Amino acid sequence: MKRTVDVSVPIGPIHPCFKEPARVKCETKGEFVISAEVELGYMKKGIERIMRGRPWQEVMFLAERVCGICSVIHNMVFIEALEQMSTIAVPERAALLRVIVNELDRMQSHILANFSYCYTIEHETLAMYLLDVREHVMDELERITGARVTCAYIVPGGVRFDLRSEDVLHLRANLAVIEEEVTRYMHMFEGGPLIALRSREIGVLSRGAALEAHAVGPTARASGMPETDRRIHHPTYKKLGFSPVSRTEGDNYARIMVRFQEVLESISIIRKCLDTLPEGPIRGGGIPGAGEIAYSGEAPRGELSYFIKTDAAGRVVDISIQTPSIMNIEACCHYMLKGVSSLADVPSTFVSADPCIACTER
Amino acid sequence: MTAFMYEKDLSAMKYAILTSTRHDRMIREIAAELDIPQIRLRKLMMDRFDMMLLENLPARYDQGKNSRKTENPVEKDLGAGLYTRAIPLISSSEMGKITEQVQTLIREGTSEHEAVVAGRKMIRGVILQ
Amino acid sequence: MSILQSVKNLVRSKSIHVAYVDVGSCNGCDIEVLACLSPRYDIEQYGIYVHNNPREADILLVIGAYTPGWEEKLHTLWEKIPDPKVAIAVGNCPISGCLFNRPHTLVDPPVSKHIPIAAEVPGCPPRPTEILAAVLSVAPLVFKDYEVAKR
Repeated sequence: MKRTVDVSVPIGPIHPCFKEPARVKCETKGEFVISAEVELGYMKKGIERIMRGRPWQEVMFLAERVCGICSVIHNMVFIEALEQMSTIAVPERAALLRVIVNELDRMQSHILANFSYCYTIEHETLAMYLLDVREHVMDELERITGARVTCAYIVPGGVRFDLRSEDVLHLRANLAVIEEEVTRYMHMFEGGPLIALRSREIGVLSRGAALEAHAVGPTARASGMPETDRRIHHPTYKKLGFSPVSRTEGDNYARIMVRFQEVLESISIIRKCLDTLPEGPIRGGGIPGAGEIAYSGEAPRGELSYFIKTDAAGRVVDISIQTPSIMNIEACCHYMLKGVSSLADVPSTFVSADPCIACTER
Repeated sequence: MTAFMYEKDLSAMKYAILTSTRHDRMIREIAAELDIPQIRLRKLMMDRFDMMLLENLPARYDQGKNSRKTENPVEKDLGAGLYTRAIPLISSSEMGKITEQVQTLIREGTSEHEAVVAGRKMIRGVILQ
Repeated sequence: MSILQSVKNLVRSKSIHVAYVDVGSCNGCDIEVLACLSPRYDIEQYGIYVHNNPREADILLVIGAYTPGWEEKLHTLWEKIPDPKVAIAVGNCPISGCLFNRPHTLVDPPVSKHIPIAAEVPGCPPRPTEILAAVLSVAPLVFKDYEVAKR
């Protein structure tokens, strides 16, 4: 379909603000953005095609490498889907350890997303502060799982490594530091007049649009949809008891603030886990068998769904992965970017939705 | 001739997106409902939608099916919300016209089933234009 | 060695601009490159500036296993970088394709088929310190006396 526009401004695939290659084509009238399109294809590796016909032991590592930022949740959702399919029980200690690692992963992902946003709006000081805090979280992740990024910590029927008592002390001490720092930076972000100038009322996603594009995660929760948090359906989280964060503004500012608040929420979830952590085994064992399931969990960016079909030997016959970034980037480019009053706000609005192109294309 | 660095034919990559299991199932369902050949439907989607929308189609389709349950009977049978908002194959003004025509048919005494079938035919006509 | 050359050597050793390009990885290596920026690793204390602008880059960090979307583009990008330039492959993906290099995949590793790679940092993903060490050890080898070596 041909349309007449003032000018079509392509941004990307290489752009100083984007961590990953994506090409945003903005159709503009002067500086005003009428509509935007995102073109992909720079990261398509065909993971789902590789996964088909392989045993779950191999697919587990591939699933983790769908996204390097939120690798723990991919691991967790895949393994929990297998467990649900073959009714494998998980020891309570292992279930809580999973939550701890998952929340640490969520914290580092949210802090990274906020770092990217602050970097994009050229508030480099706050960005560097946040990146420094993230290293504390990565330390804890590494101490518990043994790796910084792709840790393959969760296995069917349990987790790989136990949390030693000295690690608990380290974790608690580090959590106190992280909480203090993140609270400080959150107030810096909240009260910064220049930040507000570049963030408030920009890239507004209304609740109706969020519903239509099926937006998930912090992007949806910033538009007043707390029910999108899949953690409220997860049995371990249910036991721990927590309430999802949500805001109603729906602009860039709200999205970043939701992430800050979720980091603090994650810290309190980890504290609850540490308080109630029972002694006991961490691996119950169990072998995945045949079955078919659709299972979803809450990734840092939103609802992550796996549709898996396996045969009796545990080989994956058919799989498709629906990552949260698919919905969020779509909501971002077709709803948020529409009506952005200046081209300079396009990268920051795009980054505020926390786009992960590697997830999107797989 | 000047070679443009960034403009290249994206159809191969768009097709790679449409071959995933969930996309395939979705296309089969839509093609069966509207009676459009699957290949035509794929081609149409590749021409009209950008890559991000293509990736998001299954999620939007599920969402559209959910909200379809709450629409009024004729719109529900035609998939008015589904094919205009969730999967923008047809503009909402065209869809409005078709819905009106179907409602007139029903008022004039055509059975609901036949009227909806006629409505789907109209939708197909507009989509394949 | 001329005075001009020694001045150039001095300047080049203290000012290295880095661009990174992701040609289809899982994103893990990208964030490890970003982590190099953090005050803990502080890449800028060595005079390295991560800018992500190929036009003024000296070092290109290539991440990922080369997807079809980058055909033609990666090479054009490489040509846009002014001399002296060097490309470093970060992570297993550009070296071997890591676990994406399997039947039915879309990727086409190694990246050295498409642009000249001077150094490789294996790891899935490598630690930020390893990336930093690679950049620091490759830079003097290529940039010192570049004009003399060229002749």
